[in-house]
Amino acid sequence: MFRLNEEFCALANHCVHQGGPVCEGQVSGTLAPDGEGGLCYEREGEVVSCPWHGWEFDVRTGEALADRNYRQPTYEVVVEDGTVYVEA
Amino acid sequence: MFITIAQARVRMSEQTARAVADLDVVVDCDAHVTEHQDDLLPYLDEPFASALATDVDDSYGYISSFYPSAGFLTPVNTGKAEGKSVRSSAEVREGMALLDTNRVVLTPTQNLYLGCVQHPELAAALGHAYNEWLLDTMLDPDEGLYGACVVAPQRPAAAAAEIDDRADEDGICAVFLPSGGVTPLLGKRQYDPIYEAAERADLPVMMHNAAGTMLLSFPNLFQGFDRYLSSHAPVHAMQHMAHLSSMLTKGTPERFDIDFIIQEAGIGWIPYFTRRFDHEYRAKREDAPMLEKLPSEYVSDQFYFTSQPVEGTGDPDYVASMVELMGPESLLFSSDYPHLDFDHSADLFRVLRSRLGETAARNVYGETALEVFGF
Repeated sequence: MFRLNEEFCALANHCVHQGGPVCEGQVSGTLAPDGEGGLCYEREGEVVSCPWHGWEFDVRTGEALADRNYRQPTYEVVVEDGTVYVEA
Repeated sequence: MFITIAQARVRMSEQTARAVADLDVVVDCDAHVTEHQDDLLPYLDEPFASALATDVDDSYGYISSFYPSAGFLTPVNTGKAEGKSVRSSAEVREGMALLDTNRVVLTPTQNLYLGCVQHPELAAALGHAYNEWLLDTMLDPDEGLYGACVVAPQRPAAAAAEIDDRADEDGICAVFLPSGGVTPLLGKRQYDPIYEAAERADLPVMMHNAAGTMLLSFPNLFQGFDRYLSSHAPVHAMQHMAHLSSMLTKGTPERFDIDFIIQEAGIGWIPYFTRRFDHEYRAKREDAPMLEKLPSEYVSDQFYFTSQPVEGTGDPDYVASMVELMGPESLLFSSDYPHLDFDHSADLFRVLRSRLGETAARNVYGETALEVFGF
């Protein structure tokens, strides 16, 4: 489970690539073109990388950043009375 | 049983194209001329025209010494392969008759080495002189003789001006980037003016290495590649993989709406390279953040590969598999005539026609080239 400010997201912990523990990987941003021929760092906190091979996933949608044919399963998260529930 | 007229036409064309000679369109996407010193000198601009207007009796042909080469002992040197000359349009036509082609994209021989000429201004001048000679003595679109405009990567701005000047000339159908040994690799921003000019001119960019140049930039490895065979067989593909990796990583095909034509490295490395690059890109996307789709999709959409030298023609299953895996729509027939490892047009045609069908064979042998070169 990931917390982005007040937003919660949940991903399966079995990487769609080769089964690595994706949710134990680093949460970070990612390098992107800055539109002027250089690079910038963006999406801080929105990207989780599987520790086995470094595949990057969007923590909200589960999509692999490099190849949208791969998507990590996501689960709906509900917050009720200060308790966080994952619908699985 | 009745068949439609369209079906009948298909059946007739299937019956008629039993050999390359039966095809209406056969484009040789890599037909070399063999430009010599005497061809280029009259077309050299100042200041080099004066600087090189020497009456020194130089039986070595001093121009060739400007083009660095590893100096391999080749079957041409030993007289075991013919070093055939193609220095006139008549000699081009002889080759076309031998190979049953009816259009050629003429490419250089000495200027395959242009990317390693040490003197940048001289390199640009030599490319310019070659193009002058080609236009003046060779190109004749009415007879199917087209050519690629050679540019020196050492001087990108001059190369861009050269492309701008040649773009509207009759018979110029591509930009020719002598890619062997070129350093830094071709994805670097310093080459952008060349790609911008090609995009303006709506011309594809041909990338072609030479055995004698490729390893000049890999001096440590080069010590181990001390034979023509050990260099020529693996290094064409190595050099193209290095440039392709650089261009994909730096987003060249994303940033420029141009086609690239990769030459003379065979076919089996292509399905390997695209799959391996996709495989690693999925884990190392931050190294290529310009890309908006998979590397293999850029290769499929914007890169073409000329066929020669097709490895493994004695094993049709191998060739058919490789062509299917790389995508037959990305393959362009080429002969490399008159160089010593040229492919006759008949071999690959037999494999394609019998294994992949008539349409794929027609496309590889010319229909795809018509679109890529805009003939």
